[in-house]
Amino acid sequence: MREIAGLSFKLFIITAVAAICLSFTNTMTKDKIAEQIAMENELARQAVLSQAETFEQIDQKTVIATAESLDFENAEIVSEVFKGLKGSEEVGYTYKVLPKGYGGEITVLVGISMEGKLTGMKVVSHSETPGLGANATNESFQNQFKDKPTEEALTVIKVGSAGDSEVQAITGSTITTQAVTDGVNFAIEIFKEMNK
Amino acid sequence: MNFMKNLWNGIIPENPVFRLVLGMCPVLAVTTAAVNGLGMGLSTTAVLIGSNVVISLLRNFIPSKVRIPAFVVIIASFVTIVGMLLKAYAPALDKELGLFIPLIVVNCIILGRAEAFASKNKIMDALADGIGMGLGFTLALTILGMVRELFGTGNIFGYSILGASFEPALIMILPPGAFLTLGLLMGLLNKVSQAK
Repeated sequence: MREIAGLSFKLFIITAVAAICLSFTNTMTKDKIAEQIAMENELARQAVLSQAETFEQIDQKTVIATAESLDFENAEIVSEVFKGLKGSEEVGYTYKVLPKGYGGEITVLVGISMEGKLTGMKVVSHSETPGLGANATNESFQNQFKDKPTEEALTVIKVGSAGDSEVQAITGSTITTQAVTDGVNFAIEIFKEMNK
Repeated sequence: MNFMKNLWNGIIPENPVFRLVLGMCPVLAVTTAAVNGLGMGLSTTAVLIGSNVVISLLRNFIPSKVRIPAFVVIIASFVTIVGMLLKAYAPALDKELGLFIPLIVVNCIILGRAEAFASKNKIMDALADGIGMGLGFTLALTILGMVRELFGTGNIFGYSILGASFEPALIMILPPGAFLTLGLLMGLLNKVSQAK
């Protein structure tokens, strides 16, 4: 009994010290991390919709309602919508979509201009296989989505060169490519529905 | 002189990957490219040095009956702190290594060295062991990554080596390539060390 009490006490001290160190580091880095994330998001929005100077968030409830009216399997797949403004003129929208990839959720940011053209796509975060699916963050893959029309849903092709509504799959990572493309298609559908 | 001997020990004579065959999970999973191997190796080294030193410091305090939970708490705290600091102050590096950082907790090299070395030796020796084992791990991962990247994509560290006419052997960056490369490298090393 005495031995167990002694052991627990020592283990308790170790975990308590660890907890103090962790909470200390957390308080020290929390604001900085939030700031980094906010800055990163702003930069990402700027990257996919470069015409816009400022961004204004659209009420998430309207977005979900639209997704539900479109019968999306998961109404929360489009998690953030921002309206891009240049001065007071609307130039387009950015959509944050969360499709399921090979290794879990992928955060994809899509920009669509008022004329209905994709202005950019960016994989913000993911847990795909390094060296394979992770190549979705490469410029060469992301640039494929630039200037694509939104009349039709995009499709993935494995061989040959991609046409107007087609996306060339990443070698060895068809699932990742498909997931990202699906995400973009969801954004396109929402865009069309909300800007009828 | 002991310091150098302990340090050298981890790099070749008791290389964690080729000799002790420890930490195989990250070895096989992340060595799809040289830069991933290097990143994983260096972040593991940082945690290994920290945990080795702390565990060596506490070796008389930690009761042997609860040493494993105590080690795990210490290692996990280190990994979390390193992760938070990277997120706050080196977001670019964090983006590269993001996936690997939490993986370090379950890397058995760290627990293995805590158990086999740090808990029985003085701080300077534990420090040398941490640096040596870490560098040995980094070396092995980088070599593995280089071989796989070379045959799988024709590049090393992203620079083209074999030229555009080279047909990449995709299998090398897929999981089987990890086993093939590791097996062949281990065999080669055994052959060389036997010949001496």
